Amino acid sequence: MAFTMRAVKVPPNSSSLEEARKRTFDFFRSACRSIPSVMEIYNLYDVTTAAQLRSSIASQIRQNASITNPKVIDMLLFKGMEELNNIVEHAKQRHHIIGQYVVGNEGLVQDVGTKDLRASDFLKKFYSTNYF
Amino acid sequence: MALRAAILGHLRVPVQTLTQNGRALQSWNLLNLNRSMSSHDDHLDKQEVIDRVVSVVKSFPKVDPAKVTPEVHFQNDLGLDSLDTVEIVMALEEEFKLEIPDKEADKIDSCKLAVEYIANHPMSS
Repeated sequence: MAFTMRAVKVPPNSSSLEEARKRTFDFFRSACRSIPSVMEIYNLYDVTTAAQLRSSIASQIRQNASITNPKVIDMLLFKGMEELNNIVEHAKQRHHIIGQYVVGNEGLVQDVGTKDLRASDFLKKFYSTNYF
Repeated sequence: MALRAAILGHLRVPVQTLTQNGRALQSWNLLNLNRSMSSHDDHLDKQEVIDRVVSVVKSFPKVDPAKVTPEVHFQNDLGLDSLDTVEIVMALEEEFKLEIPDKEADKIDSCKLAVEYIANHPMSS
């Protein structure tokens, strides 16, 4: 019930890019400080470490590093804060966290290298993309 | 009650002397002027802080471990950006069980400043 009763407050817009930048770092710090409780809630000790989760959060923030419009940054920060709230109050399940932050964009099937020794060059390219 | 008495009668708790806290035990001696039980003197050794800070920075994936020295500047010498710096400071918070306030955390941009801050922090452990 907690997450339906939650008051979603929207902070005032950042006045400058510098303020938005500062807010991004504050958000990153609060996300990092909630990592221990997240690992406890979702029992992530055997699949990942706090340092890996920190890097994963940082890489997601870095994906949007080129944005210079403070309003867009505020919107993304709001979405990030909402995601963080959902995670911390256990509105997600373990596989959501693992799929999104532990396994990441590479997916479950990762190219480990030894298995495709016999595959032709054509097939290797075909598996990765059909635009070549 | 009978059950409780029976259980208590059979419980055996192994008694161990705390050999690793020898320093703390000695301090019961009132003539010891070092006040080693006092929380104010419980600072970490500076060399230990340096070693632990350097090892945290070295274990950061984007950093070349060979370049890390106790004086290294994160952005100028290691080629990290501001987000990486915040990430390292968060890793240091985790390592030393601190919570560094945002204003101080913004100022920490090199190993030297990090060592200085952590060594002077009374809660670092």
